[in-house]
Amino acid sequence: MDPILLARIQFGANISFHILFPTITIALGWVLLLFKVMFNRTGDDKWMNAYRFWVKVFALSFALGVVSGITMSFQFGTNWPGFMEKVGNIAGPLLAYEVLTAFFLEATFLGIMLFGFRKVPNWVHTLATFLVAFGTTMSAFWILVLNSWMHTPAGHEMRDGVAFAVDWASIIFNPSLPYRLTHMLLASGLTCAFLIAGLSAWRWLRHDRGPDVMIALRTGIAIGAVLIPVQIIAGDMHGLNTLKHQPAKVAAMEANWETRGHVPLVLFAIPNERERRNDFEIAIPNGASLVLKHDPAGIVPGLNEFVSADGTRLHPPVAPVFYAFRIMVGIGMLMLLLSWTCGWRLWRKGDITTPLAWLLVGMTFSGWVATLAGWYVTEIGRQPWLVTGVLTTAEAASKVPAGMIASTLAMYLAVYLALITAYISVLFHLAGKGLKGVAAPAGVGVSKGGAPVHPRGATARNG
Amino acid sequence: MPALLDGHTLPLIFAALMGVSILAYVILDGYDLGVGMLMARADRQERDRMVATIGPFWDANETWLVLGIGLLLVAFPTAHGMVLQALYLPVALMLLGLTLRGVAFEFRVKAQEQYQRWWDWAFIGGSALSALTQGYMLGLYIMGFQEGWLTHAFAIGAAAGLAAAYCFMGATWLVGKTDGDLQGRAVRWTRLTLVATAIGMVAVSLATPLVSPRILERWFSFPNIIGLMPIPLMTAALFAALWVFLRRMPRLDHSLDFVPFMGAVSLFVLGFLGLAYSFYPYIVPEKLTIWQAASAPESLFIILMGALVVLPFIAGYTAFSYYVFRGKATELRYD
Repeated sequence: MDPILLARIQFGANISFHILFPTITIALGWVLLLFKVMFNRTGDDKWMNAYRFWVKVFALSFALGVVSGITMSFQFGTNWPGFMEKVGNIAGPLLAYEVLTAFFLEATFLGIMLFGFRKVPNWVHTLATFLVAFGTTMSAFWILVLNSWMHTPAGHEMRDGVAFAVDWASIIFNPSLPYRLTHMLLASGLTCAFLIAGLSAWRWLRHDRGPDVMIALRTGIAIGAVLIPVQIIAGDMHGLNTLKHQPAKVAAMEANWETRGHVPLVLFAIPNERERRNDFEIAIPNGASLVLKHDPAGIVPGLNEFVSADGTRLHPPVAPVFYAFRIMVGIGMLMLLLSWTCGWRLWRKGDITTPLAWLLVGMTFSGWVATLAGWYVTEIGRQPWLVTGVLTTAEAASKVPAGMIASTLAMYLAVYLALITAYISVLFHLAGKGLKGVAAPAGVGVSKGGAPVHPRGATARNG
Repeated sequence: MPALLDGHTLPLIFAALMGVSILAYVILDGYDLGVGMLMARADRQERDRMVATIGPFWDANETWLVLGIGLLLVAFPTAHGMVLQALYLPVALMLLGLTLRGVAFEFRVKAQEQYQRWWDWAFIGGSALSALTQGYMLGLYIMGFQEGWLTHAFAIGAAAGLAAAYCFMGATWLVGKTDGDLQGRAVRWTRLTLVATAIGMVAVSLATPLVSPRILERWFSFPNIIGLMPIPLMTAALFAALWVFLRRMPRLDHSLDFVPFMGAVSLFVLGFLGLAYSFYPYIVPEKLTIWQAASAPESLFIILMGALVVLPFIAGYTAFSYYVFRGKATELRYD
């Protein structure tokens, strides 16, 4: 098999596995801070009990993010040596700043946040929670700066085929960064919101309906309901930004072959790249022109514009980008429907219903699917480039033999599959333990006033 | 950019920074990987206590590896490509080990009861795999990535040696962080692994000049040998002093419980200095010097500025974290 394809699958598998966990922890860190601050302000134990449950989820997700992130820091070199040789002068400082300003901060204060509740004053524990949330967000900022620069490079000049930094402000605040960062942070918020709502709904279904479960359920639904319309608007703006800087990607997203006006919005089709047309197309007339140009006659660039005279394809493969985009948007619509229905229900009747709870459980990991689909749109959509206009993926690939990549790929895939299975089953296991904790209180916490309370589900160890 | 920080000085500074990161990693993750391996000799309750001694620290400890490899990547990209492609398989196995060990911290207490023992073994196996592969890579590096059975035989020896040294580190850490029966066992483990570590260090010190005429020349030519004698002499004296000290442990008075750990750290520093002296100025032995491998001075300067601002903070809050979790380890709990 082609070593470049294998290297891409391996890196893609690893980065896909990795992003699942930061997507949860970036937003969950802030939700934990919210729980902690609400506890400090109200003294109501439901907030602290919600904190104690979700901090376990945070710790588990964080550990998975750390180990897969370490793997990634090595794979930059093992899989893409050409990347650092050519754009290392840009990528290097950005990665270094991520490690220096984010990784140490979050890793160190995580210890205090998890295990320091009895060892430090309450305000230090709150501060540690804040610093962990801040660290995860800083880390997201730096890595998205680098990723955005790869999509829309700016502030550099090429000397002898190597990129040199000229203007760091333009490198950091490159054209796609504001949109990509907003879109990703909102994606994290939504992923976390549906995880919280889903697991809380699972507890609710098991008649574990204490005040901490209900407050988490409400928080999850509220965050989801507020963020999803914002995300739809931010996503649309990100799309317009992409149209300006990477029109080939948008053409693949819309499966639009010809540059023309009155472009329909394709709801479904099977893109046929060999004959360069869509089979079984269902479309809304003028839709894409309206969405992208805000004008039914708006001229939208098509894929055929990105084929060189000798027939070389300079646009991304159409089908994966096209399908992934529809999966992402479809899940977004489901999120809107479900979170608003649940929000309405909570507002009017004060509780959810059993069918709604099951739907929430079903959507627990919907944020993961949407986030991955979105990343596939943007990353596959950048091909054949690794850094738009600067470096192709093929040029950056390593010379490691295909057999070696294939065998390690098989190992990584097996481990990732096992870990995802373990992660999901342990989350539901933790969620299912709540009622047992009430029956046999094993851990004793201290409430704000100093009176001992029995935290739900706390066991003698940190389990 | 000040003239002092030109294309000659900057690579040197970065080589030093990278060296410090790697040394910090080997010491810090060394003790927690060592504790992980020693868990093979403990029951479930002792394992909980052992994990409690490293639980708040391991994550930050491992970040030094990311910084070290990150500095190699950003400051010496050519060397990074050469080294990591040569070490492709052992790196993949080490990552497997670190992954298993890292997630086992959480799963060993959060998973369903019947699986917790499995995760304990993932913890132990992952720690061992990480230590062995790191030693193996160190061996390949010392041998300059030459082909042939001798290189691999040496690397296997180095793997065993580094794993023993990590166990030694972990055992001294446990002496400092535990008391009672577990501390007594930790003292015994420290004595055993002290011998193994000494054998390993002697073997590597003898083998390195034998396989590399350049290193032989660096160490044994006159007058270098006089200036360098303190390194092996201090190492030998430290080993002997630790041996004597350990015979009187465990002590009723706990004020000196961290002495073995401090001794182990000093041994690691000395060993590291010896290796650094052997290889300077090469970053890939016999192939690439730090100047040949360095990236553009402008980019290095930007990173250096950031590092100079941020590193004191990192040192500060790391110290704070060790202060918060000072003394004998208590049960890890979230509430």
